[in-house]
Amino acid sequence: MKTIVLGVGNLILGDDGVGIHVVNEIKKQIKNPDITIDEAITGGMNLLDLLLGYDKAIIIDAVKTENGENGEVKRIPLDDFTTMHSCNPHDVSLIEAIEMAKKMGEDRIPKEIIIIGVTMKQIPCEFGEKLSKKIAKAVPKAVEMTLNEIKKDIKISI
Amino acid sequence: MKTVTIDPITRLEGHGKISIFLDNKGDVDNAYLQIPELRGFERFSQGRRAEDMPQITSRICGVCPVAHHFAATKALDDAFNVDPPSAAKKLRELMYMGYFIYDHTLHFYYLGGPDFVVGPDAPPAKRNILGVIEKAGVEIGKEVIKHRAYGQKITAILGGKATHPVCGLPGGVSKGLNKDEVKDIDKMVKSCIEFAKFSLKLFDDIVLQNKNYVDLILSDPYQLSTYNMGLVDKNNKANFYDGKIRVTDQKGNEKVKFDVKDYYKKIAEHVEEWTYIKFPYLKVVGWKGLKDGKDSGIYRVGPLGRLNAANGMATPLADKEYKRFYETLGGKAVNSTLAFHWARLIELLYATERAQELINDPEITSQKIRNPVGKPGEGMGVTEAARGTLIHHYKLDKNGLIDKANLIVATTNNSGAINMSIRDAAKGVIKKGKVDNATLNMVEMAFRAYDPCFACATHTLPGGMPLEVNIYDHNKNLYKTLKQNL
Repeated sequence: MKTIVLGVGNLILGDDGVGIHVVNEIKKQIKNPDITIDEAITGGMNLLDLLLGYDKAIIIDAVKTENGENGEVKRIPLDDFTTMHSCNPHDVSLIEAIEMAKKMGEDRIPKEIIIIGVTMKQIPCEFGEKLSKKIAKAVPKAVEMTLNEIKKDIKISI
Repeated sequence: MKTVTIDPITRLEGHGKISIFLDNKGDVDNAYLQIPELRGFERFSQGRRAEDMPQITSRICGVCPVAHHFAATKALDDAFNVDPPSAAKKLRELMYMGYFIYDHTLHFYYLGGPDFVVGPDAPPAKRNILGVIEKAGVEIGKEVIKHRAYGQKITAILGGKATHPVCGLPGGVSKGLNKDEVKDIDKMVKSCIEFAKFSLKLFDDIVLQNKNYVDLILSDPYQLSTYNMGLVDKNNKANFYDGKIRVTDQKGNEKVKFDVKDYYKKIAEHVEEWTYIKFPYLKVVGWKGLKDGKDSGIYRVGPLGRLNAANGMATPLADKEYKRFYETLGGKAVNSTLAFHWARLIELLYATERAQELINDPEITSQKIRNPVGKPGEGMGVTEAARGTLIHHYKLDKNGLIDKANLIVATTNNSGAINMSIRDAAKGVIKKGKVDNATLNMVEMAFRAYDPCFACATHTLPGGMPLEVNIYDHNKNLYKTLKQNL
């Protein structure tokens, strides 16, 4: 089962880069030819391009929530979203990109897409490479949840 | 009419927010747009190796990495006092055309086009790419996907990852093209030219042949007569990669023309207390508030700004379209915000034609692609990002480390104009406090035409949209909040 583990975010935009901090940890722990570990600074169409051809995709990303706390980690199957839009207006949501691709007969879309989301109330607006305390604390938890997600389908030794 | 004094609104971070203030009759008194402005870039850059800037700055914007990459590279050419070999300049420009092809395609078909193809008052669930496909057919959808991918592939062949280019170096590029790659690109470019022609035909059939749409484009709420800015070549034709910065007035006459080295003598930035984003304006005219007209220094950039600031396009088919554009919309300058969409498609055609010129140039396979750099100093670089003029400015210390950095990005150049366009659209469509999703979309269309960009990749959950509109009554109490997908 070909799986992609994708950290999404911007490494020079503080907490926005949390997904990449998480996959950097995962990279240290996993070496398996069936698992691709990568990073991306994009959403929507470009994000979908990276997922094509895999059976399963695990996306680790910062998610802005209106109700939650900073630094909670949540596992959310993509099917639970009605939309999943990055905060950039020059893009379509991942859901929309997938629906469009399906309509065009694209058959390489992963059967399962899971989001490991690290919640935050504010979208970061200041350049920097460091995570804030609360978000940094969430990294080990997000790593653990990502590993558990991988283990469901693939035997890995850590 | 009762005048409402508006307290400075709290500076908000996060996604875009439009605040509309009504008077006591329920008509619009004023409207403000707040979008996230990233802060602390200068401090972040200090002490970093200058040659890392093309990679670092390509992360500033998730959608225009190529534009930042080359604005930075060109600033470094200048800072290290080196002129790249002509083959390197052509390779950079070719890659740049690939970027324009995918970026403009995405905007027209996925973001801006649905308002016209599906209709501005269609329900939001239909007003998207899927609605476009429903109306135009699956085959067209396949063409859209294919040619957007071609644009990205061209960029990737030349620059490494399309979303994170690595080819620009001070004095040239890191990689040339071999004959097989030339063949591949040539094939894709040929197909892209046909696709661009088709897109203009589609625009003609669906928008220009529909009197309601032409009336909408020419209607008052969407007119804004600012100055216009864009890069031009020595014949004053529009150029995306290089040239002089030209500014024309409301009638299309040249106001100023300058080298990027003089940008800080020509452009100043005004600060308002209610937003972090700055408002650039022409120094020679001055800041007169958020007003258009010849006495206000605000200018527009992006597809419409570029077309207005130029005397034509440098390739034959695009130039023909350029002339038709002005004949149809009443001569220079075209001041209709919704004309951005047509201008964007003319630029798409230019990008494909220019790509063909470059890929057919025998020099494109030259391996002389880098010149040795000189001593580090100060440098400025300018490119046209898909959404407008982009300036990078660095001061290096004697070890080649960044001492000072300043950027003026396209969406900042447009900030005054975007704000006014939103305000005027709101005034035109919201009457007596009546607001619904269709009205809101008419306001958003004024915003969307500019194709503004934000930098981060954070997703909003669940269903939180990147744009929120808050409407306040004359006592400044929140009257209604609307959220809508862009």
